[in-house]
Amino acid sequence: MTPAKPAGAATAEPYRSTVQAEARDGFGRLLIAEWTKLRTVPRWTLTLLAAVLITVVVALLTAAGTESSGSGDRPVDSARRQIIDLGHYTYLPLGGDGSVVARVTSQQGGGGWAKAGLMIRGSAERATPYAALMVTPGHGVRLQTGYKGDGAGGGAGSAPRWLKLTRAGATVTGYESADGRGWRRVGSVRLKGLPPSALAGMFVAAPDETKVRRMFGGESVDGQPSVTRATFDHVSASPAPPGAQWRDRASPGGPAADPSMDGRTQAGGTFTLTGSGDVGPNEFADDTTRTTLTGVLIGQAAIVALAVLFVTSEYRRGMLRTTFAATPRRGRVLAAKAVVAGLAAMAAGLAAAFGAVLLAAPLQRSNGLSPPSLADGAVLRAVLGTAALLAVVAVFTVAVAVIVRRSAPAITVVLMVLLLPQIVATGLPLSAARWLERLTPAAGFAIQQTVVRFDRAIGPWTGFGVLCAYAAAAMAAALWLVRKRDT
Amino acid sequence: MDATIEVRGLRKRFGPTVAVDDLSFTAGPGRVTGFVGPNGAGKSTTMRMIMGLDRPDAGTALVGGRPYRSLRTPLCKLGAMLDASAVHPARRARDHLLWLAHANGLPARRVDEVIELAGLGGAARRRAGGFSLGMRQRLGIAAALLGDPPALMFDEPVNGLDPEGIAWMRGLLRSLAAEGRAVLVSSHLMGELEGGADHLVVIGRGRLIADTAVQDLLEAASAGRVELRTARRQEAMTALAHAGATVTATGRDAVTVTGLTTERIITLLTGAGVAFTGIAEHRASLEEAYMELTKDAVEFQAVTGREAP
Repeated sequence: MTPAKPAGAATAEPYRSTVQAEARDGFGRLLIAEWTKLRTVPRWTLTLLAAVLITVVVALLTAAGTESSGSGDRPVDSARRQIIDLGHYTYLPLGGDGSVVARVTSQQGGGGWAKAGLMIRGSAERATPYAALMVTPGHGVRLQTGYKGDGAGGGAGSAPRWLKLTRAGATVTGYESADGRGWRRVGSVRLKGLPPSALAGMFVAAPDETKVRRMFGGESVDGQPSVTRATFDHVSASPAPPGAQWRDRASPGGPAADPSMDGRTQAGGTFTLTGSGDVGPNEFADDTTRTTLTGVLIGQAAIVALAVLFVTSEYRRGMLRTTFAATPRRGRVLAAKAVVAGLAAMAAGLAAAFGAVLLAAPLQRSNGLSPPSLADGAVLRAVLGTAALLAVVAVFTVAVAVIVRRSAPAITVVLMVLLLPQIVATGLPLSAARWLERLTPAAGFAIQQTVVRFDRAIGPWTGFGVLCAYAAAAMAAALWLVRKRDT
Repeated sequence: MDATIEVRGLRKRFGPTVAVDDLSFTAGPGRVTGFVGPNGAGKSTTMRMIMGLDRPDAGTALVGGRPYRSLRTPLCKLGAMLDASAVHPARRARDHLLWLAHANGLPARRVDEVIELAGLGGAARRRAGGFSLGMRQRLGIAAALLGDPPALMFDEPVNGLDPEGIAWMRGLLRSLAAEGRAVLVSSHLMGELEGGADHLVVIGRGRLIADTAVQDLLEAASAGRVELRTARRQEAMTALAHAGATVTATGRDAVTVTGLTTERIITLLTGAGVAFTGIAEHRASLEEAYMELTKDAVEFQAVTGREAP
């Protein structure tokens, strides 16, 4: 073996790069490089556009196919559709500050969430501001407001129980007592829009008894009104309005209510109230916002395909070698890829979600439905959340594609974990379906819900967090693999 | 120091097969180093390890004295073309160069410069999927030159090119080396490097067989061989063999003689009265020199063949 002899080396000076001085590295440059890759393959930009179009078209089709069968000639405000304001309410006028006190002596029927107690509300109209302090057989003493479930309180405590509800300005405070002497504060609420002259009195309410039957392709919900009855004594209101009579709020179902289901009897200072129907959120209301945004279920398929190809096309053609030759720091390359795919998906998601809600609105209005309003915080969260959802789905997909390295399996895996739980859930019993929608990446779609429905599996942000956790875990695995593997 | 590619004790195993085994060599500045070996000898694996794409099981590969993975703007240190078809077919040639330039913060002006350098001009706006092999090679060259690097590495750059393309490539490699760059070019055909390389690194089965200047190799392969043309072959062979030469018949009227100088052969034949029509000192081709080298490698391969499970 001859030792290396520098033939001709003496004749030339070692070369120096003329552009070295201008070269820069950095994450920003990588983002530009990855974005250049994405935008310069025409069918990828078309895929992004397709994701937007599909989502909007599905929203329009859904809006065109849904009609309100209600008799009203004006569309019902969607916020009002999402609450229930029933039960039986017996009241006195309350001018300005004051309080009402009563003892709930007994309560029968209506289940664990049957309600008996005191209520201060703006008027007898539906959906006015209110504060209700009540005893429940299963959930203790509660202070509830805003047509939301639960409320402050909890713990033990059922009839017989003393209750006191006090108004001072816009603040209403609830107290409870076992004997009418030692009072414990349950909580207080501020009621926006409570008029100076309000109503104070007693109420009973009970949620309907419902049965949900689910099979693939549909579900049936049977609701059976359940009746609750409670007796009150030691009822007093202060300041006592001179000459005022106890009045009953008209039954919303109509004037001719069945006395066994709705009514008031009075014997001396003892009142017995009978009622059915709940005060709180309507768990069976349609989530119009979510329905309008259903199209992303299909639109996301385009995003998933794009994010997969963005990665696997490099593996398939050995282009990844060129990429890693230009940037040997592989973790950064993968991060840049994920960020670019995520931002592109988010941009498409914003266009799709706003497009769907805004363009479907005229159709929904002409069909007698009230379209989701972007002024509503929950609706805005659902719309922006849809864009964020697509961004996280894209990041998750990039990670899976790096792990799997081949297009078809990667697309299948991602769509399976995102769609399958939602499809299978429609055929499972509610309890099993809930777990499926809590534990799989499909939980992320909870960000689109604007109504707390009976079949809600997980809160909007918690669900989104579950998807983010999956994306983070997949990304961590992808980073580890991409550093370890030969290319 | 910038313009060198240096490999020290490199070893890589894929499962049971040893792809590269204790390989060391240096591609120095100002010359074209041919990296030769049969298909599967470990050339591409070595190049991938130089670029930090494959992780060596042992040894180091340095570009300008540093491991490739530690380089921040590597396109300015080493330009490489490993696989000319590694381009997204739907992307325009210029866009392919553009994202590469962005990755190292190079100005877009540089993209247009290398397009001209590689003679891509008219095709720059066309999608790479419609490129002929020759055009793809040019695009690969353009990408390698993007950072104007002092070291360059090409894996089988003339493979599949037409004669015109081969001549162009050869000229390009020479001119890049003449500027003082280190150029490492792999090929499985020694003939392709004829007149192109100054220095050769020959490997077989992942092991170094020769690391030599082309000049030395040719001299060694030609040494002492004389080609003789004569109609009276048998008599010539007898006469020369008696004088102690090794004589091989290479044709009906041709023999190759080793062990005697040309002058001595002429004297002997004239003395014996054997007429001949031609006599010349043999000038080995690079291909022959390679065969000479790999004769040993074949034996070596047989030995390792038995050792390997």
